[in-house]
Amino acid sequence: MSGLKLRNVRKSYGAVEVIKDVSLDIEPKEFVVFVGPSGCGKSTLLRMIAGLEEITVGDLEIGGTRMNDVDPSKRGIAMVFQSYALYPHLTVRENMGFALRFAGVAKDQIVKQVDDAAHTLALGELMDRLPRQLSGGQRQRVAIGRAIVRKPEVFLFDEPLSNLDAELRVHMRIELARLHKSLAATVVYVTHDQVEAMTLADKIVVMNRGVISQVGSPLDVYDNPDNVFVAGFIGSPKINFLKGVVERVSKTGVTVTLPGYSDAKISFATKSVLLAVGDAVTVGLRPQHFNTSGTLKFKLNVELIEHLGGESFVYAGNGSGDLITVATQLGRGLKAGEKFEARIDLAKALLFDQAGQRVR
Amino acid sequence: MNRRLHRIMVYTLLSIAAFVSVFPFLWLILGATNISPDILSGKATPGHALFDNIVKLTQQVDLVQLFYNSTKIAVIATALTLVVASLSGYAFEIFRSKLSDRIFAGLLAMLSIPFAALMIPLFIIMAKLHLINTHTAIIIPTVASIFMIFYFRQATKSFPTELRDAARVDGLKEWQIFFYIYVPVMRSTYAAATIIIFMANWNNYLWPLIVLQTNETKTLTLAVASLLSAYVPDYGVVMVATTLATLPTLFIFFVLQKQFVQGLLGSLK
Amino acid sequence: MAQAPGKTTLTGWLFKGPALTLLAFFMVYPILSSLWMSLQVGKGMNFSFGGFANMWRLTQDAVFQQALLNTLTLLVVQVPIMISLALLMAVALNDPSLKGRALFRTAIFLPCVTSLVAYSVLFKSMFAFDGVVNRFLEALHIVDQPIPWLSDAFWAKTLIILAITWRWTGYNMIFFLAALQNIEPSIYEAARIDGIPRWAQFQKITLPALIPVVLFTTVTSTIGTLQLFDEVNTITPLGGPSNSTLTLSLYIYQLSFKFMPSFGYAATVSYVIVLLVMILSFIQFVVARERRRP
Repeated sequence: MSGLKLRNVRKSYGAVEVIKDVSLDIEPKEFVVFVGPSGCGKSTLLRMIAGLEEITVGDLEIGGTRMNDVDPSKRGIAMVFQSYALYPHLTVRENMGFALRFAGVAKDQIVKQVDDAAHTLALGELMDRLPRQLSGGQRQRVAIGRAIVRKPEVFLFDEPLSNLDAELRVHMRIELARLHKSLAATVVYVTHDQVEAMTLADKIVVMNRGVISQVGSPLDVYDNPDNVFVAGFIGSPKINFLKGVVERVSKTGVTVTLPGYSDAKISFATKSVLLAVGDAVTVGLRPQHFNTSGTLKFKLNVELIEHLGGESFVYAGNGSGDLITVATQLGRGLKAGEKFEARIDLAKALLFDQAGQRVR
Repeated sequence: MNRRLHRIMVYTLLSIAAFVSVFPFLWLILGATNISPDILSGKATPGHALFDNIVKLTQQVDLVQLFYNSTKIAVIATALTLVVASLSGYAFEIFRSKLSDRIFAGLLAMLSIPFAALMIPLFIIMAKLHLINTHTAIIIPTVASIFMIFYFRQATKSFPTELRDAARVDGLKEWQIFFYIYVPVMRSTYAAATIIIFMANWNNYLWPLIVLQTNETKTLTLAVASLLSAYVPDYGVVMVATTLATLPTLFIFFVLQKQFVQGLLGSLK
Repeated sequence: MAQAPGKTTLTGWLFKGPALTLLAFFMVYPILSSLWMSLQVGKGMNFSFGGFANMWRLTQDAVFQQALLNTLTLLVVQVPIMISLALLMAVALNDPSLKGRALFRTAIFLPCVTSLVAYSVLFKSMFAFDGVVNRFLEALHIVDQPIPWLSDAFWAKTLIILAITWRWTGYNMIFFLAALQNIEPSIYEAARIDGIPRWAQFQKITLPALIPVVLFTTVTSTIGTLQLFDEVNTITPLGGPSNSTLTLSLYIYQLSFKFMPSFGYAATVSYVIVLLVMILSFIQFVVARERRRP
């Protein structure tokens, strides 16, 4: 299994630059997920790795070899597409063996490799069917099987679970995680679903508008976001962003007040010297971090509650500030219109400057 | 308006339309069994002249030769047109550039050029190439059918691009993608196109009229027309000939009705 | 969408090559050659440059003017009638609760299967002076004398119009049917719930959806009618009683292959058709665009 390097990669369509200076290292056997909103460039980046799109500037290395001008079929990659892209006129068996036919592999070798892959994915009884006779989940497995047959150095997945229904998606997620372990494969996986990203990735690459916003392990990115975009994108329900103003600056930290919330004061320990009194800042509080013992208190009125059974999402405010979302397991008795006190540990609060950058 | 009355009107209208549409076909069959004077005096019942008419027809024309010529032209033209038009229709949709799109727009504009404007220079070209009175001269100008190029381009719009991506990742070269993926997947488009092209060539009249001059090369359609333009046409014989000339298309229509209509509509979007 | 350029576009041009080459030789070259030829005068293969002489000849040529008039008359009468009929039948057939829909549709479409020569044969025999049509009309007392379809100028034209309409209405109807069936039924349901009467539904929902199709069929029908040849050459080979069914294409054919050929002049007449097609198509496009704006 190979690793992958992207060095200062840019892509333009004419005058429009869609990928702006991306550099990334992917280790062998790593499961890397590119995640971000529509249009952030994640699919384009994946297609550039595959060789389906040209790299305008920069270098791509797979397994140490520069691959910019190499044909997709010779890069040692295999790809699973969002709509599976199975050849509709070929059986499952023929679909899986198709690439090997054109690579000049001997017939009996093709049979062996196809059967191996079919076994791994339990496709046994589907082998002679046509794609239109298969369910969505089955087609997905065939598409993965087709990729496995080629024994690639790197697997590329382009939003493979988007076309499946919710329940199937969860099931396939687990299968994909298992496959990754058993194949010990290097995987580059693109999705817009942050839950998929968090659950599958060894390393998450959060992208926004053609640049990488942050790279890190899922928990890293969750606990320690670099900017408001990552903080807001990762984590569901979305993090609460409250407007704040810097009240005091000292050598050890800053104190921030929240104008919308009867001037609650939060002290942040920080070595940064870039903040000044009066600066506008953003404070991030995750809904899941609220508890019953925190020192930071918000007295709120409940506007709306969503009960999911295992936990409840409480949307509450005080009339003048933004609505705060609290995820709690103790919300069953609450009703709209009631008073609610949200408490949170100060240590869980995240501070972002005016430009959206995290202040540490 | 009263729904019932509305309904009756609709049924009446459609029934009249259906009758008017189908009657000439009945007339054709009837006519094949009658003698010419009877046909012209409006006899609307079957006669006993079918056998006689057939015999007279075979005496006046070489049916086998005519069928052979028409079929040969239609089959070869269809095969060539399918290849040329689908290749370029596919290419115009997949391999795009400003120049390519401009050329395509030019092609569309050329669709409105009437054949009458082309036939004299075409005739002179064929004369210079010594191709007058050959089937080659009939086939070649029809092969690059702009309508078919347009049709295949439209059809290619519904060809999933992800299939192309998958094929490229699988290592297929462009011509292999076209041949091994595109053609099989677009089977019904090819079927519909075959019907249209075949029929157009089978029924082709004006150009063959100008180019084909001897009995060895003439087509069935021409024969029917020339039987009719005799000083005193024998309508019984003409009817038999017309029936024979129409049978192939009627047959294809009934067997492949769905594709036939689909073929017409394919260019709509 | 944009793939590795250089390589794929070369392949692209190779794919387009055969078609473009053939078209260059057998369409572009002839059309330009025709233009050049329209400036030549002379009989047979003896050409000499004549400048605008052919165009002058157009203005003096009564037969040409007759052919032009005939062609335009056919166009103006036949196309609207046919489109309206096709529209009417498509709307009638679009009702899912109608019994025998498939049968009606097949029957009305059947004429499209015939070759232009074949159906001309049929019509010529049906509309003979003592033919079945006249007998039918007399039997129903619609007329008390047989109509001289083939020997009277007016009736000959009418016959041609009837024939063309018979042949092509079903064809256009199919296009309209497809467009009608593309309209989401839920739009009509919403209109019903809102209490909008059926005629208004037709006007505000059905008609707008049909405009692109009507435009398409009108343009193609116009082009077809302007080039009319096969039928008139079969039913009325010499141009009909007093040239009443002489179309431009038929005239060009006669100029080129019947009389002592005047290729140059024939080319000039053919460019008249080209011009007419261009002008009329353009007008129709503009009209459709204007109607789409409000």
